Amino acid sequence: MKRVLLFTVLLCPLFFALYELFILQNVKDPIKYIYTFTGATSITILFITTSLSLIKKWINLIPYRRMIGLFGFFYAFLHFMNFFILDAEFDFAFVVEETLDKPFIYLGMIALAILIFMASTSTKELFRRFNKYHKLLYLALVLVTIHFIMAQKSLSVEQWGYLVLIAAIVFAKVNQVRSKYKKY
Amino acid sequence: MNIIKKPSWLIDENEVTPQELFEKRRHFLKLGAASMIAGGTIIEALAKDNIPVPNMQYIKDKNLDNLKLNTYEQITTYNNFYEFSTSKEKVATMAQKLNTENWKIKVDGLVEKPLELDVDDLIKKFTLQERIYRFRCVEAWAMVVPWIGIPLKEFIEYVKPLSSAKYVRFETLYDEKQFPDQAKGIFAAIDYPYVEGLRMDEAINDLSILAVGLYGRAMPKQNGAPIRLVVPWKYGFKSIKSIAKISFTDKEPLNSWQKANKREYGFYANVNPNVDHPRWSQKRERVLGKFFKEKTQMFNGYANEVAHMYKGMDLSKYI
Repeated sequence: MKRVLLFTVLLCPLFFALYELFILQNVKDPIKYIYTFTGATSITILFITTSLSLIKKWINLIPYRRMIGLFGFFYAFLHFMNFFILDAEFDFAFVVEETLDKPFIYLGMIALAILIFMASTSTKELFRRFNKYHKLLYLALVLVTIHFIMAQKSLSVEQWGYLVLIAAIVFAKVNQVRSKYKKY
Repeated sequence: MNIIKKPSWLIDENEVTPQELFEKRRHFLKLGAASMIAGGTIIEALAKDNIPVPNMQYIKDKNLDNLKLNTYEQITTYNNFYEFSTSKEKVATMAQKLNTENWKIKVDGLVEKPLELDVDDLIKKFTLQERIYRFRCVEAWAMVVPWIGIPLKEFIEYVKPLSSAKYVRFETLYDEKQFPDQAKGIFAAIDYPYVEGLRMDEAINDLSILAVGLYGRAMPKQNGAPIRLVVPWKYGFKSIKSIAKISFTDKEPLNSWQKANKREYGFYANVNPNVDHPRWSQKRERVLGKFFKEKTQMFNGYANEVAHMYKGMDLSKYI
């Protein structure tokens, strides 16, 4: 039951975007909108995934971590498909050229590669073999945060708030890891 | 006995048409004239959009390039106006609070005599012209706007700069009470007041206008009322909004975006598909309302009119 509820909640952003794009049709610049929307959703879900261990004491969502993480990947993938299909119009050479040329894009691409690796090794069997490499998520989170900052012409107050929130999560995570090592 | 005899021309006070009504009549006549002038492209687009008819008098643009206008709605609800917000969708509502009445423009620097001009008076001194221009944002979205304005060249001739003036510097109004982002201090999106500049030859180019309206109506506040610059061969950020000060100088003005990030934005900001912004491609553009992207043209399609000004300049260096 909890799983179904969580699944629905995580699909809501997609339905909201589709509603704005196709029913309300109030989006002036769809490509830009999809970039912002899928990017912000993905980064939010990925940071939530990594925060699950922090809030375990109050609400234990660890059993659903895989599903939540996969949704983070799902929105990141939509973000990339927006680049490939709508923005580049299937021009594969252009995508490669841009990726190699612009730091902001190749950082995002490296993060995407990490997420693809994690998603494809998230089945029970493969996870047993590869879970130690799933710490790569931390690298992806760093890259994604830089990618997000670089995408802005200038940071708004709301975006500063977002970065403060990210900093708080990082701080809590580092503390958690440190106290774990102290124990042993 | 003192008999007061009225002369034949003296009519009773109650027979006099109030000035207000009298002016309305003239306004009404103007409206009729305007609708005759406007016609064609605009009326069609307005009818489709259910927008009030034009109420300004101006010389129509023949639209020789056959540009397809963006709708009034698209033009007035998707605006970069950082003084209000970095959200393009929020500006239209937030800007309605801007008080544009009795707007003054200060003219100073290398001019025969510094002036303070009232915008309403200023507009009356010139014949307004419609200019249907492509408008290309550095962020790679674009639209086509039917501006109404005064050729910048005519304005410059009117305010008489000295021959030592080599550049024109423009400044947006600074008023923390009216522009919320200006009140944010270190959290402001960029440094205010917003500054832009043109080389003198660019300023007196036939394409440069001071726009005071669009779609035949007074400039909407979110689009930079009451008066803004439009230089269609340059990225949109050069077309500074809500101008409060125009100065003539002999030094290249440091424009706001160049000041914010010199590596990404320069003084010239000419639309150029061959020179990418460091973070995104400028090869193609997203014209609002069109599903497929379009190729960006050199100087935004105005090479014939402006390319000669940049002869011999390395445009990958002078961004």
